[in-house]
Amino acid sequence: MSRKPVICGIGRTAFSRNSERTTLAQAAEAARTAITDAGMLATDIDGVACFAMGDSAPGMAVAHAVGIDDLNWNMELFGGGYFATSVVANAGMAVQTGACDAVLVFRSLNGRSGKRYGRADGGGTKNGSAATSRTAMQVGGERQFAAPHGYMTPPQWLALWCRQHQHRYGSSCEDLGQIAITQRQHAENNPHAVQRGHIDMQDYLAGRWINEPFRVFDCALEVDGAVAMIVTTEERARDLKQTPVSVVAHAEYTGHGGLMDQWPDYTTMYSEKAGPLLWQRAGIKPNDVDIACMYDCFTYTVMATMEGFGLCQRGEVGSFFAAGRATYGGEVVVNPHGGLLSEGYIHGLNHTFEAVLQLRNQAEKRQVEGATTALVTAGAGPFGGGMILRAGV
Amino acid sequence: MTTTSLPPQPKPNLDTEGFWQATKSGQLSICRCQECQLWLQPPLERCRQCGATTRFEAVSGKGSIYSFVVVRHGAVPGYLDTLPYVVAIIELDEQVGLRLPTRLLDVAPETVEIGQRVAVQLVDLPGGEFRVACFRQASD
Ligand SMILES: [Zn+2]
Repeated sequence: MSRKPVICGIGRTAFSRNSERTTLAQAAEAARTAITDAGMLATDIDGVACFAMGDSAPGMAVAHAVGIDDLNWNMELFGGGYFATSVVANAGMAVQTGACDAVLVFRSLNGRSGKRYGRADGGGTKNGSAATSRTAMQVGGERQFAAPHGYMTPPQWLALWCRQHQHRYGSSCEDLGQIAITQRQHAENNPHAVQRGHIDMQDYLAGRWINEPFRVFDCALEVDGAVAMIVTTEERARDLKQTPVSVVAHAEYTGHGGLMDQWPDYTTMYSEKAGPLLWQRAGIKPNDVDIACMYDCFTYTVMATMEGFGLCQRGEVGSFFAAGRATYGGEVVVNPHGGLLSEGYIHGLNHTFEAVLQLRNQAEKRQVEGATTALVTAGAGPFGGGMILRAGV
Repeated sequence: MTTTSLPPQPKPNLDTEGFWQATKSGQLSICRCQECQLWLQPPLERCRQCGATTRFEAVSGKGSIYSFVVVRHGAVPGYLDTLPYVVAIIELDEQVGLRLPTRLLDVAPETVEIGQRVAVQLVDLPGGEFRVACFRQASD
C-alpha cells in the first residue's frame, strides 16, 4: 500500500484586478472546487496547508468555511513565493508519514486591490497609500539599512540583481524581452490569464520603466484570486475521479540567512544549490522535463533560475527563448499559462495548478502534447525550491 | 499631498542602535567581532563565526559599486517626487563581500557603472533624528 504523495484535485477562482470579495470567500471557492474536482467530500480532508506574507486567509478558517470539521494536520508557513512548492511538498510529506490522509493546500490574496507587493506601504486601490499619511513608516530588521534610501520593494531588488548579470554575462534588455514576449504568446491561449494582449519586441521596449533595467513587462502582474489543490496518497487516489499527478521530488534551499543584500553573487540564485539536489532526488535530467513552470516574479528570475536548474547555459537564456526552444515545438515549454507575468500573481501556486492541468491533458488550446513530466519552481534570490511532477503514479 | 510624505525611518534595536548612534555623531561604523576581527553586516550581538562579542568600529567609508538600480517608478514614501534616483549596493574596502545598501547623491544615472569607486557622505534623513549613509562617486 503506497503512501507516495499525489495531487488529486485542483481548483481556482477567476483572477482579476478587483475581486470585490474577501480572501476567505475566494479561498473557500477554490478549495470547494478542488475537492469536487477530486471527487471527494469535505469530510475526506483532514489536513490544511498554506503560506502567506501580506494578504491571506487562515488555514483553519478556510477549512471550516468549506465544511471540514476535523483537522489532524495544520500548517501555516510565514513567507513569500519561495514557499509555493514547499507547501505542496510538505503536504506530501504529511500524507506520506501518515500524519493525515488528505491535505487542502491553498493560496488566496487580493494582491491587486488589497495588499500589493510592489509597493513599500502595501497600498492597493482599496487601502490607499501611506504616501498620503503624515506619519512615516518605521522599518526594523535588516531592512532598516535599505528602506531609508527608498530601497524596499522586490522590483527594485531583482532589477539590481539583474544589472550584475548584464554586467558579467552581457545579457540584455532584449533577452528579458524574449521571456516576456514568449510567455505572453502562451497567455493568448489561456482564457484565465488577466493579460492576453499580444506584444512584440517593439512593444516590450516601449514599455515604461519601472526600475532600470526592468520595464513594466518584466514584472509579475499583481492580481486578486485564489488557487487550491488536494494532496493525498497514491493509494487513496486510486479510486478517485482524476488521473493523479505524482509529486516525484522536491528540493529547496535557503542561503546567507535569506539576506538579499549579502548573497554573494547576484547572477545566481537559490537554484544553483536546489537544482542539482532536485535532479539527483528525482533521478532525471533537465532535458527530461516537457514543461517548466518557472517562478517569474520577474523575467530575470526566469533567466537566473533556468541557468541554475540547468535548463540553459549561462548567459544564453535570451537566445534560447528567441530560437523558440522554450515554447511549443521546442525543448521545454516554459510557463504555458503565461506565468505570473501574464496569467497573474497568485504567489506561484498557480504554477502547480497549470502543471497538473497539463499533466492531466486538460489544458485545451495550450495543451503541451504528450507532456508527462513537469518542473515547477518557486522563489527568487537566496531562497526557493523546485518540484518534479509526473502524470500518473 | 505626496510632497508631505516622509521616507521610511529606521527602527533600531539593541543590536543595531550603535550604527545609528555612530552616523549621528558623524561616523560610518560597522559591527565587528572583537576576537576574529570579522566585519558583520547586518550587525549581530555576537560574531556568527566565533561567537565572541562585537562592537561598532569606524570604517574608511570607501568602497566600490557592486550593483545598482535606477528607480523610475515611485513605490516608497518620501521618494515619490524625487524620481529617478539611484540605489546601489556598495562593497566596502574593509572586507570582501561586506556590503551596504545606499543611495548615490548628485549623480546622473547614465554615468553609473559597476565597479566605480565611491565615498560615504552622511545625510540627515527627513522626518526624524536619523542620519543615513549615502555615497558619492569618487576618484579613488
Ligand atoms: Zn569572530
